[in-house]
Amino acid sequence: METIDLIDLVSIGLLLLGALFFLTGTVGLLRFNNCFARLHALTKADNVGLGCIALGLMLQAESGWAVAKIALIWALAQLAATVSAHLIARFSLRLGGGVRRMPP
Amino acid sequence: MIRALADDAVSGAATGAATGAATDLEIAALLWWAFDGLLALGLLGLAYQVVAGRQLFRSVVLFIIYGLLMAVAWARLAAPDLALAEAAIGAGLTGALLLSAYRNLIGTDGEEGPHAPITPPAGAPPMTVPRWAALFAAALAGLLVAGIGWVAVGLQPPEQTAGRLALEQLAESGVENPVTAVLLNFRSIDTIGEVVVLFVAFLAARVVAQELDHAGPGDWLRASQREPLLVGPLIAFIAPMAVLVTGYLLWAGGHQPGGAFQAGAVLAALAVLLRLTGRLRPRLEPTLLERSVLVGGVVLFSAIGLAGAGLAGAVLEYPPGWDYRLILLIETVLTLSIALPLALLFSGSGGLRQEVR
Repeated sequence: METIDLIDLVSIGLLLLGALFFLTGTVGLLRFNNCFARLHALTKADNVGLGCIALGLMLQAESGWAVAKIALIWALAQLAATVSAHLIARFSLRLGGGVRRMPP
Repeated sequence: MIRALADDAVSGAATGAATGAATDLEIAALLWWAFDGLLALGLLGLAYQVVAGRQLFRSVVLFIIYGLLMAVAWARLAAPDLALAEAAIGAGLTGALLLSAYRNLIGTDGEEGPHAPITPPAGAPPMTVPRWAALFAAALAGLLVAGIGWVAVGLQPPEQTAGRLALEQLAESGVENPVTAVLLNFRSIDTIGEVVVLFVAFLAARVVAQELDHAGPGDWLRASQREPLLVGPLIAFIAPMAVLVTGYLLWAGGHQPGGAFQAGAVLAALAVLLRLTGRLRPRLEPTLLERSVLVGGVVLFSAIGLAGAGLAGAVLEYPPGWDYRLILLIETVLTLSIALPLALLFSGSGGLRQEVR
């Protein structure tokens, strides 16, 4: 019986957690009924799910450059997801007639 | 990005298989089979949905996803060059073009919402194909595909393929990336042809397009509405990054996957972003500079190719010792000559100008 590396264990855990978040986000995207609830579900998958998977892969990377590359991919995806979610929500708000800011 | 992901997956599988026993190998192979099977089924299913769907918008979105899955398939076939090109051009730029065309379609039809099914105009005869004709055509096409597949499976693989020849001659090409060597040295005539096709497509679109300033910035550029808060920072971050990636892909083409087509596609994507956010505005006619960039790739490539007839003994042959430098020069100009027509196709205009605020 060979022992499993601690790093491998953490990595597997993170990847599984990320996959779980993606699954939950996808189910939410398919099942929720309005745009904002769907965005809410989607951003969870994007932020936490991708973050977990990126971290899990970073632990397996062979060099520092690979780690930096994965971090950069994660940051770029994060940026794109943030801005597009913002734009979709804004468009959807305007479509519903709510141009002004909602009262807190 | 996709390449990096695929590489990680492959190296992860390789290390996993190396440390494990034979059963682990079998499990890994089984997992790859499952992955490939899902990918193939997904591609087929998506292709069917794109063609058979009755909502145009849905088809366009599914086509973009189809392009992304296609890129993953190329990465699985160990063809990262194609995967990069497919993701950038097949999914990205073609998707943007389709979405922009869709917007024009619903713009001219007036009342149609984004999710309305495509309906023929009133008074026109229904455009349906009789069921028996559709079945007949499907059966014929299926037979054809099955026949070709049957013949192809039965063929003996040739002893000496062009790919092996190219790999053997790689040292003479001046570059280390075999794909670039084939595209810009061994079969450069095909590459000239591709660039000419792109240019002719742009000219054709110029001829058919009636109103040239359709696709464009969203409503927020009207005076009454402000630009969304996050657009400025996004562009401030993405624009230098895209230029950097363009340069990297161009430079990387000499020794690893990359090259003029991928770099040009990234640059064109940046132009699409700037055009959508109103940083670039359409102009009716191209300037002299834009015209020279449009034809520059073809002209330079052909000129160097013709010069090869005198200096190197054959048309499209590079003088000895000059391979790498000439290939790099051609690739640099080609990048611009590929990016500009793509950007102008999306913009639907003859030229672009910077927006003065």
